[in-house]
Amino acid sequence: MTCLQVYSFRGSVKEIIMHELKIAADLSAIVLEAAKKGKLTRVTKVNVIFGQMVQIVPDIFRFAFSETVRDSIAENAEIEIEVLPIKMKCVKCNSEVQVSDNEFRCNVCGSTELEFIQGKELFVNSIEGE
Amino acid sequence: MEIKIMKNILNRNQNKADEVRDLLESKKVLMVNIISSPGSGKTTLLEKTCEALVSNYKIGIIEGDITTDRDARRLQKYEIPIIVINTEGGCHLDSHSISKALESFDLDNLDVIFIENVGNLICPSSFDLGEAFKLALVSTAEGDDKPAKYPLLFREAKAIILNKIDLIPYSNFNYQSFTNDLRRINGGIIKFDVSCTKGNGMNKWFEWISEQIKK
Repeated sequence: MTCLQVYSFRGSVKEIIMHELKIAADLSAIVLEAAKKGKLTRVTKVNVIFGQMVQIVPDIFRFAFSETVRDSIAENAEIEIEVLPIKMKCVKCNSEVQVSDNEFRCNVCGSTELEFIQGKELFVNSIEGE
Repeated sequence: MEIKIMKNILNRNQNKADEVRDLLESKKVLMVNIISSPGSGKTTLLEKTCEALVSNYKIGIIEGDITTDRDARRLQKYEIPIIVINTEGGCHLDSHSISKALESFDLDNLDVIFIENVGNLICPSSFDLGEAFKLALVSTAEGDDKPAKYPLLFREAKAIILNKIDLIPYSNFNYQSFTNDLRRINGGIIKFDVSCTKGNGMNKWFEWISEQIKK
């Protein structure tokens, strides 16, 4: 049996070109919900935390966010981005490993079996407003 | 006034991905998320893999394609269920579209699902689809610097296929430099050197993926 089906998501949200825009759209939904709950009439600042590994381009992200909050109470809100460096934990000896220049290796025991402590975050920390 | 939120922005995607993973585990279906640049040979890899495995395993395919169904049409000849997700410009698939696509499969009648993600090395790496693992596919024609430039994918992938090794003599691809960068980022990654069109190295890949399906 051959089954060929086409799902088209035309017309959903907005035309999404880059992952910055998809992430910005999800962020704006969270921001507007939190603002409503907190009874804010204007959002002036959004504080986000990105891990170094996720390769978000700040300028594109700011632009994408400004597009997704146009005509809302978060229009013109400033985006403050904190970038967290990559930090790993060695599975073998439990040491904390600082990663620089893409070298994912424990500097104590030499193992390459590492787990993320931080570096992949896409977090919204807080919003500011009145 | 400051309001604390401290929340993962991709929470919605993550929750759905967790649901998808639980569902597939309960149905004992292995889902593989294939991530690569455009033109690296994803569809050819799937053609050859279907050819080799279709008599032993029940395969399903999810094709992420920006606007067309051309890739899916190339796979129709294997008479397997194929779902195309047109992202309409979107550069990656997300877990909600995968969850919707899975509704159209008979999961009790499948062993493995291959997802051909949209050709892109950055965005798909950040979106968990509920897959068992990510498979990175790169071709020698793209140059040897891909792991160094896009470390997240190569760090997150369980296995990598280096395709078009037959073209190395005609390109400036530095195999040693590629392998060194890859090992620095992910010392445990399983690597297959292949030429999908010529067949070099493909048997090792078929054997390995068969083992994963049987697990």
